[in-house]
Amino acid sequence: MADAILAVFQRPNFLVFVIIFLWGFYIMVTRYNLVKKLIGMYLVQTSVIFFLVSISAKRGATVPVLVSTTEPVQAASYANPLPHVLTLTAIVVGVATTGVGLALCAAIYRRYGSLDEQKILEKLE
Amino acid sequence: MIHQLPVVLFLLPLFAAISMPVVCLKHRHWSQPISMAILSAMVLVSILNLLYVIEHGEMRYVFGGWAAPFGIEWVADGLASVIMVVLSALGLLGVVFTVSTVPKDLGGRIVHYYTLVLLLISAMTGIVFAGDLFNLFVFLEVAAISSYALIGLAGGRALFAAFRYLVLGTLGASLYLLGVSYLYAVSGTLNMSDLAVIIPSLLSSKALVGGLLFMFIGLGIKMALVPFHSWMPEAYSYAPESVSPILASLVTKVALLAWIRVIYWVFNASIVIYNIPILLLVEVLGALAAIIGASLALAQKDIKMMFAYGGISHIGIILIGIGQGNATGFAGGIFYLLNDAVMQAALFFLAGVAFCQYGVRTVEDIGRVGKHAPWLTGSLIVVAMGMIGLPPTGGFFGKWYIILGALDAGNYVSVAAVLLSTLLTLAYFVKLFEGIFRKTSTPSDIPSSEIPFSFKLTLGITSAAVVILGLLSAPIVELLLSRTLPPGL
Repeated sequence: MADAILAVFQRPNFLVFVIIFLWGFYIMVTRYNLVKKLIGMYLVQTSVIFFLVSISAKRGATVPVLVSTTEPVQAASYANPLPHVLTLTAIVVGVATTGVGLALCAAIYRRYGSLDEQKILEKLE
Repeated sequence: MIHQLPVVLFLLPLFAAISMPVVCLKHRHWSQPISMAILSAMVLVSILNLLYVIEHGEMRYVFGGWAAPFGIEWVADGLASVIMVVLSALGLLGVVFTVSTVPKDLGGRIVHYYTLVLLLISAMTGIVFAGDLFNLFVFLEVAAISSYALIGLAGGRALFAAFRYLVLGTLGASLYLLGVSYLYAVSGTLNMSDLAVIIPSLLSSKALVGGLLFMFIGLGIKMALVPFHSWMPEAYSYAPESVSPILASLVTKVALLAWIRVIYWVFNASIVIYNIPILLLVEVLGALAAIIGASLALAQKDIKMMFAYGGISHIGIILIGIGQGNATGFAGGIFYLLNDAVMQAALFFLAGVAFCQYGVRTVEDIGRVGKHAPWLTGSLIVVAMGMIGLPPTGGFFGKWYIILGALDAGNYVSVAAVLLSTLLTLAYFVKLFEGIFRKTSTPSDIPSSEIPFSFKLTLGITSAAVVILGLLSAPIVELLLSRTLPPGL
């Protein structure tokens, strides 16, 4: 058990990811305000993006730009560029989703005059 | 030129969607014929593509000339090409159906509607062809975002349903992305065929198991698998009548296809993780979905709600077929998937006609339509035969091959689950027919006006397709058995 806990602290990036993910999930589940739900959703997305970036880091590595084109490439001395590229796409997707979510929130507010889930559900009955 | 076909299939609706708001700025009513023309072209191209793939085997399209593990590739194999034909044909039918519903349903938002539908169809093309896990994620999200917007398009109750769908769908997509990043962390590649080579050497890795589970849950939410199905009936039944046929018949099926790809093409289906074979998991989830979905459908009063729960149970039946781990079961599952796409489209067309033409939404009200609507009743009878699985419809042969596969695998619980869900399906259609043919005390107040041509056309074609798929089941299953089987089977 103690080993497991120590192993977790060996990977602080993973710990941070789990905390942000669960925090976002908690907000999504417990809040009634729709915009707060969206904020929780955005935290969940961001945590996954954080995880994706953090796995590309290497100790003592530099930015993935080749210093010399003649020498063979030392993969260990460059950070992995691919997760960063993926992350950009994932961020764009996340922004688009949040945008659609906010637009829906605005439309719901215009229609029902409230952003509180319970009040909206009462009006829907 | 012929090698460009998968990309042409993707670009046709994408360019049309992007240029639609500009082209139709002044002339709103151009959007309908333009999208119909584009989708008809897609049907032709997808049939060409299928013929080519049947003739020459799978096509791999490499983007920008970068070879597979480093570049992005699209794989047009037998399975993708078959699904593509169904997808484009149902997309076209869905748009034909909207000729009479969109003005009533969406009024001034007609251009937005066609833009989003074309975007949705192009994203689904991407999901079907993607040979790369991250591409799959991006297209899943594009498809999902277009469907959130489509559901919310009409306003009213649908807005809230769309919001719920958005929150849950994004959670699913995040979990899927998390699974992908786990897999990338252990294997260093995102390409599906590359991963399939690397994975057998990584089976002891916990990250691999975690990644697989997260991807399963993420895609499970997207395809409305039973423990994660709660967003689906609301979203699809409150969606505008012009939107729900396309969504119900295609979006969940395409997510299911992505799941099948991950199970069979990325992970080898025979993988055993911590003494649990993953196919057993698929089967059990399928059996649960088949029974629970059908029993929930039985409890519904709203027609669209009932059909949506029916769709959930059918996803379960497809999974039972896929989970048998033999060729017969797999081909049966895929055949049932094709049938189910057609039947779901037909059911939501029916519900749309019932509401737009006769103003009927619930099972009780449908008695008022009764004998005044020969097209509605006739096509409902045919589609119900397909849903229950009576010969000579496609539904019967799909279930037949699934049960044969289950018997081959010696899996009697699966057989029982299919039969039980069939009985429950029968029960809710009996409820519906009782509503129609009961002698109603209230005299019919429905004007027996002629129904529009587009309604007749879509109802006729889908009902005919349900029967034709059954009559042609032998050659189709033959084709599926010879061209679409995954590598391990």
